[in-house]
Amino acid sequence: MTDEVLRTENLARAFGGLQAVAGVSLSLYAGKVTALVGPNGAGKTTTFNLITGNLRADSGAAQIRGKPIMGLKPWQVARLGVARSFQDLRLFTHMTVRENVLAATETASWFWQPGGGAARRAREDRAARALEATGLAALAHARAVDLAYAERKFLSMARILAAEADIWLLDEPASGLDLASRLRFGELLRGATARGVAICLIEHNLDVVTELSDRIAFLDQGKVLAEGDPQTILRDPALAAIYFGDRPQEAA
Amino acid sequence: MIAYAANLATIVAIFGILAATLNFVVGFAGIFSVAHAVFFGLGAYAGAQVALHIVPDALLACVVAAVVAGGLSLCLALPALRVRGEYFVAASLGLQMMATTLFSEAKAFTGGIGGLVAIPRPTLFGMEVSVLPLALVALALILFATALLQRGAFGRTLQALRDAESAAEALGKNVAAAKTLAMLFACAGAGIAGALFALHLSFVNVESFTMDQSVLVMAMVIIGGTGTLWGPVIGAIILLSLPAGLAFVPFIPATEVGAVQQIIYGLAMTLLMIFRPAGLVGDLSKGRATA
Repeated sequence: MTDEVLRTENLARAFGGLQAVAGVSLSLYAGKVTALVGPNGAGKTTTFNLITGNLRADSGAAQIRGKPIMGLKPWQVARLGVARSFQDLRLFTHMTVRENVLAATETASWFWQPGGGAARRAREDRAARALEATGLAALAHARAVDLAYAERKFLSMARILAAEADIWLLDEPASGLDLASRLRFGELLRGATARGVAICLIEHNLDVVTELSDRIAFLDQGKVLAEGDPQTILRDPALAAIYFGDRPQEAA
Repeated sequence: MIAYAANLATIVAIFGILAATLNFVVGFAGIFSVAHAVFFGLGAYAGAQVALHIVPDALLACVVAAVVAGGLSLCLALPALRVRGEYFVAASLGLQMMATTLFSEAKAFTGGIGGLVAIPRPTLFGMEVSVLPLALVALALILFATALLQRGAFGRTLQALRDAESAAEALGKNVAAAKTLAMLFACAGAGIAGALFALHLSFVNVESFTMDQSVLVMAMVIIGGTGTLWGPVIGAIILLSLPAGLAFVPFIPATEVGAVQQIIYGLAMTLLMIFRPAGLVGDLSKGRATA
């Protein structure tokens, strides 16, 4: 594969005596979806947190297009083109749907945004396009807290779309979605990869993983056990046993 | 009677500024500071010193007060960047207690317990003026600036970090810078209120800048409605008019007005939290948000 946009090398992080991530090396490629698969507690979300600067790594390195990102704050990583979603969504609950999405287009922290009226209209257009693409245009003035579950999920995606990042880290974005919503979600992802966005997807629904991903990295106990195309990884009986909790007992 | 009403209106306008600026950090950024009276005090002392030792120009006093209080807002911004929620409340409480002691002891700047007296009447471009119009203009300007910031990108940034700080950061928002700026704006505004207060009373001492004052201003914000434009001003009007109104109720002895006032405050706060948790002006559904 070519066009590697993000790479981690031996990322590690322990919490007390628990080694949550134990040397994860991973690459993301432009226009490709990489699924992080593994049982609960495998270190998938912690890996995201290490990449985005929400957690400091004990050791290891990460870079975006060759630029080291270890030690950067989350907002600095975001400004390098990384957008992420959270399992618990973390919407701006008391803001409207449109405000949630507009906020994703406004990164300057000064009293005003640069660029004047033209830049403001461009940001509003980006927000409107993101709402249209996620089917939320009709709910633009509803408050996030009043949305239904699937709508909240799509609002989380709308923020990412509006941010115009080229690396997406999505933490269980399709969990709890019905089939129709999942299809719409798939279209969103395919549209993004067609534009060259590199996507890393944490997902437990293996149908979604098979449908959407180009590669799978299988994590267990903080390590990447296997990497490859979905068919190969998902048909591996040893990995299936770990995933479904039928882990072979280690010799005492 | 007119002088009494003008005095009450001036105090209401000054506390309206205080409440509106506190609301900026509490209501929009979700930073619960119980140290707003510190910056009110800093502004009052700075304004008084300008009037006493340089010139009693109200504009100059307000500018100096805003610079001093805004500059020292970093004392509050630094803990706000590291801790949130109840931990920040405790940190700001510590700052308030420390500042009260410093105000009592730093005699050269504050006049100590006795305070600063005989502050000259304010002037504007050489002409003596009353503080009431100045306070009303300052309040209007601060409300205008608040409305502008609230509706714009900066207001959205503050509300975003109030609702989900980690998500705001993940969207590229420098939360530390936004919080610092919000503090700067709020504390500079409190400083202006302080300068106007000193010029209005011609006397200031530490009694006006204690924890009680910070709690009173917080009560104005909560009763009026956090995160609303007019709520804090309504809160200031209600909480300052109440003691004035009670003094005219014939069956309450003058000596018991204070106690009755406390009972009414407590009762009002309790009922409000039950029936209108978002305050008098606030959106009722806000207080009942489930997520």
